[in-house]
Amino acid sequence: MRMALALLLVPATGLVADITVDKPIIPLAPPGAMVHAAYMTISNTDDVVKQLVGVSAEGYAMAHMHKTEVKGDVATMLAVDVLEIAPGQSVVFESGGLHLMLMHPEAPARVGDTVALTLEFSDGSTDAVSAKVVKMIHGGHGSQGDHGS
Amino acid sequence: MKKLAALLLALVATPAAAQVQGVMLDAPVELPDFGFTNELGEEFTDKDLEDQWTIVMFGFLSCPDVCPFTLGNLEAAISETGLRVRPDNVPNVVFISVDPERDAAFVSEYAKFFHPEFESFTGDREQIDTLIEATDSFYRLLKPDHTGHYEVQHSSSVSVIAPDGTLRAKLQPPFDPGATAEFLARLQITYRKELSN
Repeated sequence: MRMALALLLVPATGLVADITVDKPIIPLAPPGAMVHAAYMTISNTDDVVKQLVGVSAEGYAMAHMHKTEVKGDVATMLAVDVLEIAPGQSVVFESGGLHLMLMHPEAPARVGDTVALTLEFSDGSTDAVSAKVVKMIHGGHGSQGDHGS
Repeated sequence: MKKLAALLLALVATPAAAQVQGVMLDAPVELPDFGFTNELGEEFTDKDLEDQWTIVMFGFLSCPDVCPFTLGNLEAAISETGLRVRPDNVPNVVFISVDPERDAAFVSEYAKFFHPEFESFTGDREQIDTLIEATDSFYRLLKPDHTGHYEVQHSSSVSVIAPDGTLRAKLQPPFDPGATAEFLARLQITYRKELSN
């Protein structure tokens, strides 16, 4: 019994980072989209710099950190290998900037689904994030997920 | 003076309205003949430009951020435009995929997801290049990574084509719906004035 309790206290993902994640959402993808995005705000609550070095998404073949860059009139997506988050800093993943790119879903996500994401840090710690699939409402000040567009 | 102060305050209080949402071209640009299709057999050709306003956007379906953002905001902008112009002057929005190799099999569904009347097509590379060049737009397929995945660079602005089939303006991000609708309404007034002269 004591052992079972001990096991319960050990997170399944191993080391847990001192990280908080707010409003993790996945805008509902258009039909046929084999690639879509996840957005959120990641805050470093630790007193040391955290380096986000990877991400994985359950039900997807691959997930990457990406950044949209618009130079002049040309939009380019850049892969981000390492994202440094200073102590106390919050990094916003949002349209037109940083996003997690989820590739090749096993099945199309539906509104209300949750997708299990794992953020991986350079110190070996991880953070489990449950991102909700929402229908984005553009033009106002957010979506059902209260994500600014 | 009071009026001016109020106006200045209004400008400060609404930064979105101060953003440039579009650029009217100094002179209209004639467009060449072109033809695009989708997997339903629907066509979009230069003939479809006649007698209606059209907004053409280039993109690709494996675009997680920019294309959904643009089409989502265009949907909101078109709804706003509907409040400002006659129903037959509300622009038709057309999405052209520059990535037919990956997208041709289901391209028609993409734009409809954002608005039931938005249409999407793709076509031969030559046709894509023709319309890209004619609208002073840009795209480039980047080198595939080790998994075969490739990114596509493309114009973030979209083209506005008048009912006479000429390119008249470009809309630019962030596509604020109210300001974009305002820009389109002003563009149409300018166009009508020009026709009546």
